[in-house]
Amino acid sequence: MILAKNLTLSYDNKKNIIENANFLIKEKEFIFISGSSGSGKSTMLKSLYGGLAVKKGNLFVNKHDLVKKSYSKLLSLRKDLGIVFQDYKLIQEYTIEENIMLPLKVHNYADDVSKAQVKKLLKHVKLSHKVGAYPAELSGGEQQRVAVARALAHNPSIILADEPTGNLDDYSSDMIWTLLKNANEHLGITIVVVTHRIPIDMGIKYRRFNIEEGVVYEAS
Amino acid sequence: MKLLKSFISFTFPLVVMLFMFSIYLIVTKVVDNYKENIINDYAIVVITNTPLLSIDKLAGIKVKDIESLSRDRIIKNVQQNLSDSSVELLQKKLPYFYKIYLEEFPTSLKLEKIRKQLMTISNIKKIETFSNDHNKLYSLLILVQNIIFILFGAVLLLSVLLLSKQIKIWFFEHNDRISIIQLHGGSLLYSSLPIIKIILGSALFSSILSSAMLFVIISNIHMIIQPEIMTLIPTVLSMEMEIFKIFLLSILIPSVTFLGLLVKYKLQ
Repeated sequence: MILAKNLTLSYDNKKNIIENANFLIKEKEFIFISGSSGSGKSTMLKSLYGGLAVKKGNLFVNKHDLVKKSYSKLLSLRKDLGIVFQDYKLIQEYTIEENIMLPLKVHNYADDVSKAQVKKLLKHVKLSHKVGAYPAELSGGEQQRVAVARALAHNPSIILADEPTGNLDDYSSDMIWTLLKNANEHLGITIVVVTHRIPIDMGIKYRRFNIEEGVVYEAS
Repeated sequence: MKLLKSFISFTFPLVVMLFMFSIYLIVTKVVDNYKENIINDYAIVVITNTPLLSIDKLAGIKVKDIESLSRDRIIKNVQQNLSDSSVELLQKKLPYFYKIYLEEFPTSLKLEKIRKQLMTISNIKKIETFSNDHNKLYSLLILVQNIIFILFGAVLLLSVLLLSKQIKIWFFEHNDRISIIQLHGGSLLYSSLPIIKIILGSALFSSILSSAMLFVIISNIHMIIQPEIMTLIPTVLSMEMEIFKIFLLSILIPSVTFLGLLVKYKLQ
């Protein structure tokens, strides 16, 4: 569950990027956040994982109050989340297996459990043959599939995705949408995706928030 | 090459600091040894009108023993030349003589304090501290020890600055990895594990190198210092404890520097 009440966000207390936003995202929902470039979509997403402090108002993510957040609470919030970025944010020195294993290590899963989970996820994202490869050896689409697998690894309750298909071709984009759709439909994970390109046929029920000049509203 | 360069940038100041610490340890050992030797020969002589009461401490130094000098022996030495009545008078008038042994050798400053403290005891007539006998060499040794300690302090400060600079560079180099791990809920400490491994590895290497240097110095000390000073060096220079101290310091200083930076980054 994500709840925003009169949420105002800004960088360094300068001009407000988001102003008085009010919304509620329930469990298992699929949400798109769209808007023109520079409208504040990514800023909004950043605030949901505690990457940007709340200037005014209230913001709750899975009962974590992001206004009263401490360093340890911030880490505990992030352990509940899966995050996918446009630039994948894979650790270049780690193999694909090690990258996917990262959230499991943070959660102190046993090695054998982690390895079994990674194997399952690699099969799910159709990259079993790349297990020992490094990110630099993969195409953009493959790297993003690894990033989605990493986001799914620890069964989070929410996945936040910032332009996950922004750098991908149509074929790879379709694969990413399918993976996110399946995570929502079959695993009941709440998905919040920031994108300027909503796929025409998602085949599932979703809601869309639009941001224009710092104002957040639900689009029909 | 880059890895080697950064490794040297970290270990070099650490080794210099540990080497300076080794020198300080050797000098301390020499001073302690000298102190131990001279304290056995050293005593303060006190002359009193009445028998001296017990004294536990003088200027913060524990009194090891108070030895009373036999008055009969003194009288016996001079009585051949004296009449019976004079001997009787001497017996009545002769003061009491005591030798006070201390647990450690006092500095001149402490000796002055001891003298003043003893003077407050009403029945004490005269005090002889023999302050000039050992004090010159002892003061010189203390001076050398203090200079080396100050030098060590300066090198330590400079080393900490250089170590923190190198750790900052490592943090910068690992910035992407650290921020990605933190995005997934990993703590700053957990995300810095690769840096911790490099620091501990370098610290271990530095302590081995410094201990080896200390061992070489101890083994060849007769070639390094003049024969006159050799008498000050303990005949058996066991260095196990010193090597342990070097190891401890080699881990402690980089760890404290790293933790200091970690707290700084955490607050940011």
